[in-house]
Amino acid sequence: MNAVLEQARPATREAAAAVAVRFTNVTKRLDERPVLRDISLEISSGEFVVLLGANGAGKSTLLKILVGLLPPCEGSVELYGRPMRNAEAATRRRFGFIGHQSMLYRDLSARENILFFARLHGVKDAAARTDEVLRTVGLFDRANDAAKTFSRGMTQRLSIARALVHNPDLILADEPFAGLDARSTEGLERLFARLHGDGRTIVMVNHDVAQSLRIARRVIVLSGGRIETDRPTLGLRADQVLAEVNGL
Amino acid sequence: MTAVSQILLLISKDVRIEARSRQTLGLVTVLAVLIIVVLGLGLGGRPAAFDATAVLWVAYLFSGVLCFEKTMSVERHDGALAALMIAPMDRGVIYAAKLISNLLLMFAIAAIVTPAGVLFFQFDLSAAPLQFAAVMAAAMIGFAAVGTLFSAVASSTRLQGGLLAMMIFPITLPLVITSTQMLIHLFRDHEPIGGLGLGILLAFDAIFLTVSWLVFEWVLEP
Repeated sequence: MNAVLEQARPATREAAAAVAVRFTNVTKRLDERPVLRDISLEISSGEFVVLLGANGAGKSTLLKILVGLLPPCEGSVELYGRPMRNAEAATRRRFGFIGHQSMLYRDLSARENILFFARLHGVKDAAARTDEVLRTVGLFDRANDAAKTFSRGMTQRLSIARALVHNPDLILADEPFAGLDARSTEGLERLFARLHGDGRTIVMVNHDVAQSLRIARRVIVLSGGRIETDRPTLGLRADQVLAEVNGL
Repeated sequence: MTAVSQILLLISKDVRIEARSRQTLGLVTVLAVLIIVVLGLGLGGRPAAFDATAVLWVAYLFSGVLCFEKTMSVERHDGALAALMIAPMDRGVIYAAKLISNLLLMFAIAAIVTPAGVLFFQFDLSAAPLQFAAVMAAAMIGFAAVGTLFSAVASSTRLQGGLLAMMIFPITLPLVITSTQMLIHLFRDHEPIGGLGLGILLAFDAIFLTVSWLVFEWVLEP
């Protein structure tokens, strides 16, 4: 795993010039309750960032605002220098989102699901790309099986295939390891390392502090809707970050 | 990818899912036929033209509500709707595709239920079958326009089907009254359709298609 991550670093440095994500004074209230408070943050291209925080800290809301599923009450969000509010198609093609749910059609086969989303994103030679991405996540052999027959780990890999099929520059993942067994978790960690190694930007919400410090390059801790900590993972100890996550 | 090809892609996905699961069409058709049989028995088997068209409308209304609810629940299940909402397309495209999918289902149900009603009630459509189809089609387009919009609203609540019926029945009342009156005049009084009635149906369709397309983005919740 470390060897893979070491190989990923040069690509990350080369791509780090452009700003992939910019939050400027973003505030979000849900039912009058503040969920995000005056968040300002920049994430450069090629970074691997993990968002940590206790339940209700605002991590998932931040991701939903970033992909345009929720509008901010105040402030602005930019993706590669373009506003996310009413984002044009070209901006939307630049990210892939892995959510809490699979965001797939359970009655369609794995191939039909991925092919559908490939065509929706205007992918050229969608059928070939579908097969390619199914191979990447290790589901090519089950391509014709209905999504509803898949285990949690396989569904998660299929969800990742959906998010990757249009070859996005930015991957946003909301607790992608939730409910996975050790073997699936290890495989997914390798996949994220490979995607990062390819120069992609990854922003991930996670709960496992030790795992986050192992796979990411930057950690942001949210607490009560505010950024508590934002620093590189290099040299950080898990207990130190865990104390910040728990507000100690 | 153009909006038209995106709409066709979404419709073909809906058709494929329905063909695979066969949930909506089978269930809704059984419900519609049951409504006709139960109301028909209650009315004594051979009602007047007014009763027959009204009973058909009741069958279309309830089966339509179930259609809208089922087709939207496909998108809600496992959060697929969120994947559509973040895809590089106008959210009005989702509305248009869902509307056409609902209409295809409703026309398919009508193609089965209407002959069943005609046979059961011995309701003679032969005098003006095309006019009957035209009036019902115009009314169904308006009904589906409203139903598709409100199914997106209701699907994010716990009440779902019950709430959906409560929301769309009052709004579509002008469609039901106008089309029923037109059909009574057509079959009982042998008056051709047209004029004010058709104007009301087409105006309803135009208003709700346009408004629904415009506001659909704001009623969608992931």
